[in-house]
Amino acid sequence: MAAAISIRGVSRRFGDTWALQPVDLEIAAGEFIALVGPSGCGKTTLLRIVADLVAPTAGEVRIGSDSAAEARRKRLLGLVSQRPAVLPWKRAIDDVRFTQKIAGRVGFDPATVLREFGLQGHEGKRARELSGGMLQRVNIASAMAHDPSVLLMDEPFAALDEMKREEIGEWFDRELAVRPKTVLFVTHHIDEAVMLADRLLVFSPAPGRVMEVVSVPVPRPRDAAFRQDPRFVATAAHVRNLLSHQASAAA
Amino acid sequence: MSLVLRVVAPIASVLGLWYLAIAFSGLPAFVIPKPERVLDVLWVDRVFIFTHLLATLQVAAVGFLWANIVGIGLAVLFDLLPFTRHMLMPAAITLRNVPYIALISVLMLAFGDSLVSKTTIVALSGFFPVLVNTMQGLRSADEVQLDRMRILNASWWQTFSQVRLPYAVPAIVAAQEITGSGAIIVAIAAEWMISSSGLGYVINHAMQNYRGDQVYAVALLATGLSFLIYSFVHWLGRRLDWRAGDPRRG
Repeated sequence: MAAAISIRGVSRRFGDTWALQPVDLEIAAGEFIALVGPSGCGKTTLLRIVADLVAPTAGEVRIGSDSAAEARRKRLLGLVSQRPAVLPWKRAIDDVRFTQKIAGRVGFDPATVLREFGLQGHEGKRARELSGGMLQRVNIASAMAHDPSVLLMDEPFAALDEMKREEIGEWFDRELAVRPKTVLFVTHHIDEAVMLADRLLVFSPAPGRVMEVVSVPVPRPRDAAFRQDPRFVATAAHVRNLLSHQASAAA
Repeated sequence: MSLVLRVVAPIASVLGLWYLAIAFSGLPAFVIPKPERVLDVLWVDRVFIFTHLLATLQVAAVGFLWANIVGIGLAVLFDLLPFTRHMLMPAAITLRNVPYIALISVLMLAFGDSLVSKTTIVALSGFFPVLVNTMQGLRSADEVQLDRMRILNASWWQTFSQVRLPYAVPAIVAAQEITGSGAIIVAIAAEWMISSSGLGYVINHAMQNYRGDQVYAVALLATGLSFLIYSFVHWLGRRLDWRAGDPRRG
């Protein structure tokens, strides 16, 4: 069976500067991959290459049997940015419908999904009337509204405070159990990555290259108690060591 | 109270300055008449002035319409086919910088004292702010929204109509405030130079007859009209602006 996402020798150079050294990775369907590393290490570049928003300098990305461009044309991808892409003049429910209208595909009933996303009673509100956490939930609902098989998330919870971030992360993990997706998730937050991901791609500082692929030895979904689990602590400590070792070597 | 201050204070200050100018300039009444004399002329010559006002409004409205068709049309074309910007923008900038007096003279030679020559001048003076503001507005669309449209493989028209255009509305409205109120002034200037109708012609006619009071009457009317158009466009723009009511905006 073909991998859900296959990244083969993908690299990217901007002018004379390498943003991303060659990356090879096979991602299984339904797998959650977190990309962690210091700023400027190429995490977002790799995500945007998979999204067909940036062309690789070398290498190729396959989404199932399609190229990244074909997958985008077939609307197999969903994108969640750090800043919510909710249209400010639309009500929450209309924004979710908007994705379905543009994609020409109704993944699920918008009212039902907003209710399941904890937004009952807020469907008619516009972006400015929603809190940061609510807005990000609408953003995720809109990104998933056409039922893409791959979800690309670029620091989606970065603007939220620590408590809200943990809460929405746990909620998102439960949602993925209901609506499984293959996820590529960029974050600076090691604990968040260990909590949510099946595997972590740990990047070195610029020019970015994958130093190590770290597997989280507990199946998803995971609840808040996992944060106290020795395996969580050990995995997070290992990733932290990798990054701090690289940072001190770079200094 | 604030409304009274906003309306009464400017009028009182203008009238105060006007009377001061009369008192201290020593200029004759046909150069600087009293405000009440100007209002009297507006009333007594109302049929004559109103007839020419209609001619001016026609020139301003048609010119304003063309300024928008050309300005917005070019901005949309540049968005759809970016290479056309390099082809046409230099011509637009050149037209913008040609002295209007030269243009009016050429148009007068080509079309004579006609609606075409006068509306062309109004359109030429107004299209550039509309073009530049619309281009800027279309470019101001949020990148995350544009990424969202790209990832959904949206067509150019979907991205334009659903994202770029709504983001451009505030900038387009701002251009209307400039072009709409300016259209009256430019129409009068064109009429003053080449026309036998309109408020510009009335000014010309009044000057030849030492009717400073009539010139002031027309000036007062034109200023009031421009102000009204500006206020209406501003009001309309507030209603079209999706940012209106956002508490995070100042």
